[in-house]
Amino acid sequence: MAEIKTKNFLASSQMAIKDPQLRQALEKVGTGFDGARREAIEEISEAKWEEWRLKAREIKEHTIENLDYYLDMLYTNVTKAGGHVHFARDDNEANAIVSKLVEANNIQIATKSKSMVSEELGLNGVLESLGVDVYETDLGEYIIQLAGETPSHLVAPALHKTKGQVASLFQDKLGIPYNEDIEAMAKTAREILRDKFLNADLGISGANFLVAETGSLVIITNEGNGRLCTSAPRIHIGITGMEKVIPSLEDLATFLRLLPRSATGQRLTSYVSIVTGPRRVTDEDGPEQFHLIIVDNGRSKMLADPKLREALYCIRCGACLNICPVYQKVGGHAYGWVYPGPIGSIVTPNLTVLQNAKDLPFASSLCGACREACPIKINIPRMLLNLREELVQPNSNANSTSKFSEDIAAKSYTKLMKHPGILKLGTMILTGLQKPFLKGGVISSVPIPPLSIWTRSRDLPKLPDKTFHQIWKDSLKDNQDNNG
Amino acid sequence: MKNLGTPKDIFLESIRDCLGKNEGQPVIQRGNLSQSTWELQQLSEDLRLSLNKDIDGLTTKLSATAEARGWNVHHPVNMEGILDVISEITKKWGSTDITRTDQEVFYEYSIDSGLSNLGCKITTIARTDLQEDRIRLREDIISSGIGITGADYAVAETGSVVILPRKGLSRLVSVVPPVHIALVRKQDILRSLDDVFLLRRLDYHLGNDMGSYLNFITGPSRTADIEQTIVIGVHGPKEVHMLLLD
Repeated sequence: MAEIKTKNFLASSQMAIKDPQLRQALEKVGTGFDGARREAIEEISEAKWEEWRLKAREIKEHTIENLDYYLDMLYTNVTKAGGHVHFARDDNEANAIVSKLVEANNIQIATKSKSMVSEELGLNGVLESLGVDVYETDLGEYIIQLAGETPSHLVAPALHKTKGQVASLFQDKLGIPYNEDIEAMAKTAREILRDKFLNADLGISGANFLVAETGSLVIITNEGNGRLCTSAPRIHIGITGMEKVIPSLEDLATFLRLLPRSATGQRLTSYVSIVTGPRRVTDEDGPEQFHLIIVDNGRSKMLADPKLREALYCIRCGACLNICPVYQKVGGHAYGWVYPGPIGSIVTPNLTVLQNAKDLPFASSLCGACREACPIKINIPRMLLNLREELVQPNSNANSTSKFSEDIAAKSYTKLMKHPGILKLGTMILTGLQKPFLKGGVISSVPIPPLSIWTRSRDLPKLPDKTFHQIWKDSLKDNQDNNG
Repeated sequence: MKNLGTPKDIFLESIRDCLGKNEGQPVIQRGNLSQSTWELQQLSEDLRLSLNKDIDGLTTKLSATAEARGWNVHHPVNMEGILDVISEITKKWGSTDITRTDQEVFYEYSIDSGLSNLGCKITTIARTDLQEDRIRLREDIISSGIGITGADYAVAETGSVVILPRKGLSRLVSVVPPVHIALVRKQDILRSLDDVFLLRRLDYHLGNDMGSYLNFITGPSRTADIEQTIVIGVHGPKEVHMLLLD
């Protein structure tokens, strides 16, 4: 299993906020991917988009409710096409299956196209311990492999790095001159990895979808590394979560419309590859063996809980990350495991240990932007609330101090609202008191706790000169004057 | 090879436990999986009729979407035109080393002698049973500057070329060389992704093999992995040409 650092969320996110290079790298998340997503939706119209979303959600609901049935159908059809299906309950079992295949087939070199599940399993470490040279081939994954890091985004794993950082990394690890021209860096990766593809014994891929009807594994890529990984080596292993199955090829069309638009605003990615079994005797090329490893690794916990089941509808497009005000500030690494952002705050605590990931369900303002952006309409805010509820049950002592102060705050608020006179007097006094702290229309620092804690990393808005009550009164008066 | 992990029945049983279901509990079928082959046949025939009525419209639509996705579209192209386009590309790239697949379209449009006359070296990647021949052909693909393939379908909705795996089709010719040229016959243009999957499903349910690989190609290889900046041509071709044949 990949190392779990979810306990450090608060400390890591504070560090992230102070990191100027990360700030710079994250700056474009909202405008870049999310801007492109909005444009793509506008192009086909909101109404059409809504129609596709509802269809996709209906397919996912149906499939997950009948997951046993569709996995069985998938098994039958993969086998019929000459492939092998292996079921893994957890990370150890999945890694053991890969290890057995590596040993049985004398694998020396492996190339990988992007697979988040393999990140979950910590598969690269396992392969290395078996003496296999393993190369990530997606440009973003290649960068973070060289850096010894983990992905910080579902779609763009090296999103947290600036081009200057990548150039330094290439200089350092590849011994080439520093050059921060992005095209030149992509070319370097092409040249180095080309050789690996063609000499690899094993290609490992994830899967965006599995089609039960035909026993097919579907991968969606832009670079072409996925095509090379699944075509050039003599063995192909696909590793993916059990929730990735969909009933038929017809259903695939809907997801092919939703996924690229939601991820990068593309109408379709450069490549969609549908793999069904190994190469046939009459085929010119392709792998001699095809293995599909279907992984549970904690997913059944979400499956068993009707409140959390819809987290399994996720197609890992990253739209909820790109739009999330928290992700935009802290980046992916702060979340401490493989899946960051709003959906990660649900998936991670369930695939790891909820008690060690207590901060994740709270790392959201519940603004609901994630649910709006989600192509499957997953109700992320509701599930975050469910997890919060689970965490603050009376027998859990989480947040006991904050509960005490919340009680006081709630009681004072009730009192104020019941007594408009006190409220009016209080606002008048505070409007006067704020004056020495005002700077550019906001209060950026107050030396008195608890406000000092709030203003450490945020601004307080200025109390307006006129209260709502006054404006309301004035406008009533104006109206009367006008009418009279 | 046997299942190396948890036996299927045990794995599925635990899923049923999570869902609170019993084994053999009937599944309420959604529309598409309960379609009979006959229904699919009817739908396919209707589709063919409607496509044939609109070949010009579809060609126009495909040209527009394909260009927007980064294809260089050449239209209309006859036998002579194919050679002209390829000749231009060889000049631009300074490479006369060409590999092509062994698809049907090359029997209809035999371009080999024409290309040889232009001074090109053209290698056909045809199926072989000899391991050493296979290695040699693979090296030819790797060293070639241009790969030429046919297309089983093109999709107007997405600007994609669809290549079905079958005898005579190398997977690598369209991805390894830096330039890919796809020859598309106008009668193979489909309207949407739904059309492609309808035809594939019919074929599959008629008892034909799904084939090991079905590939949608939509423009050149690209990445945005560094600072969300798009770079064309990473692991796959940097330049792609779609020739719409007359």
